[in-house]
Amino acid sequence: MIRVVTLDPFDDKQLAKFNRTLYTAFGVGSEHSGTAEIPAGMSEPLDAEKLLEEVKGIRAYKDDKVLLLTSRKLKDRDLPSGKAPTSGFAKYGKDRAILSIAPFKDLEKDFKPIARHALHQLGTLWELHHCLDPRCSMYPPWTPSFNQGDHIFCTFCREKSEQKIRLAKS
Amino acid sequence: MPEGSAALQLQVGDRVVYPNQGVCRVAAIDVKEVAGQSLTFVTMRREEDGAVVMVPQGKIISIGVRKVASPADVEEIYAFLRSDSDKADLDWKQRARTNLDRMTQGGILGLAEVVKGLQVLSELRPLPTKERELYDNARHLLVSEVAAALGTAEANAEDSIDIVLFPPGKERPKRTAAEFARPVGDEDDMDLDGDLIGLEGGELDLPSDEEPASESEEESSEEGGEEEEGGEEEGGEDAPKKRGRPPKAKPAEGAEPAAPKKRGRPPKPKPEVVEGAEPAAPKKRGRPPKARPPEGAAPAEPAAPKKRGRPPKAKPPEDE
Repeated sequence: MIRVVTLDPFDDKQLAKFNRTLYTAFGVGSEHSGTAEIPAGMSEPLDAEKLLEEVKGIRAYKDDKVLLLTSRKLKDRDLPSGKAPTSGFAKYGKDRAILSIAPFKDLEKDFKPIARHALHQLGTLWELHHCLDPRCSMYPPWTPSFNQGDHIFCTFCREKSEQKIRLAKS
Repeated sequence: MPEGSAALQLQVGDRVVYPNQGVCRVAAIDVKEVAGQSLTFVTMRREEDGAVVMVPQGKIISIGVRKVASPADVEEIYAFLRSDSDKADLDWKQRARTNLDRMTQGGILGLAEVVKGLQVLSELRPLPTKERELYDNARHLLVSEVAAALGTAEANAEDSIDIVLFPPGKERPKRTAAEFARPVGDEDDMDLDGDLIGLEGGELDLPSDEEPASESEEESSEEGGEEEEGGEEEGGEDAPKKRGRPPKAKPAEGAEPAAPKKRGRPPKPKPEVVEGAEPAAPKKRGRPPKARPPEGAAPAEPAAPKKRGRPPKAKPPEDE
């Protein structure tokens, strides 16, 4: 089950559409599971990694994947090989991811790129690596063409995600 | 031999990389008795899923187990991935063989070479399924080792690799087949064995040993064998032994050279022809013709055609 938890107010209709898109992409149920508050002392831009560890008040089962949705900016990560532009973050194979819609206007107007980013973060939770196919949602999200693509997976990534989901269910 | 494994001293708690499996932690080193022999086993637990493997200590190096790369090694990997030097081989068979070697024995640099090579190749054309899987495996192993080396999350390790492979703000270039062409004379020798490489035109002919030996030859060879034994006695032990068939004796000068040997079954001896006798009629194949009835005799009625199936039952006499 995918649980979308909002950290800021969003339109319910748009959230319902967003959940339908996630359901279509992964074939598992997706729902809006309430809101959570950003921990005190964290200011914008938010440290995504720290936020995922410290956010509280999220109720989910063990196999659930939680996607936190915020309209605030996330801080770019300093990595050994350079600075990584960060619009979302997910720990590989874990159960929580965060996505910021700050780089976009809003959920309605830029629905496609936001959904594509959401698929990317949830794919990371299901142990998908970055993909070579520019049309796939697992393509590195900082590339210029990423936001122009559809919210779909390539054949390889789709099959791999289905396999991981089957394993998680069994 | 894999890099860094020449002197591998393992202790409990060490992090090692098992080729094609990923980062493991040494859980125990203990002595066990197997088939009457006491062997030292290293027990390793894979960090990803907790799978356990036990390896005899003597096999650790030959398997290719090595310690996790250092941060300095990872910096070298970034430098390698940044460079535009590595072009994959366009010959799929050669590429598959090279990549397999790199995965098992190439260390962390081998993994980076596979990832980089296939990524560059994908800029020319989409990867086939098998190579896409190989790319994913290599990427997974590389990411987990980089994460272990730097002590960071796997997502950060992957992003740090991909920032180098897919620089932000830039699209991947389109490659042409001409970029992958190798300069003339730089072709590999296909890893053929030295024996095959050394072969040249004349040596490819079948040796004379392949000819089937006729009976007379076998006899002579037996005799030759006895002669050899005698010769060895004469020559003493100092003379180096020559393997194979002894060289044939050259014909004496002036003698006619022997006719070249013919292969196959020797021809049948022809029957001696007696003068005046008629030559035997050639044998006819097939069923011999039926004997015809003598001329003048009344033509016999044609026999009724044979009926197939079970013969009719004999009817009981009606008188009784």
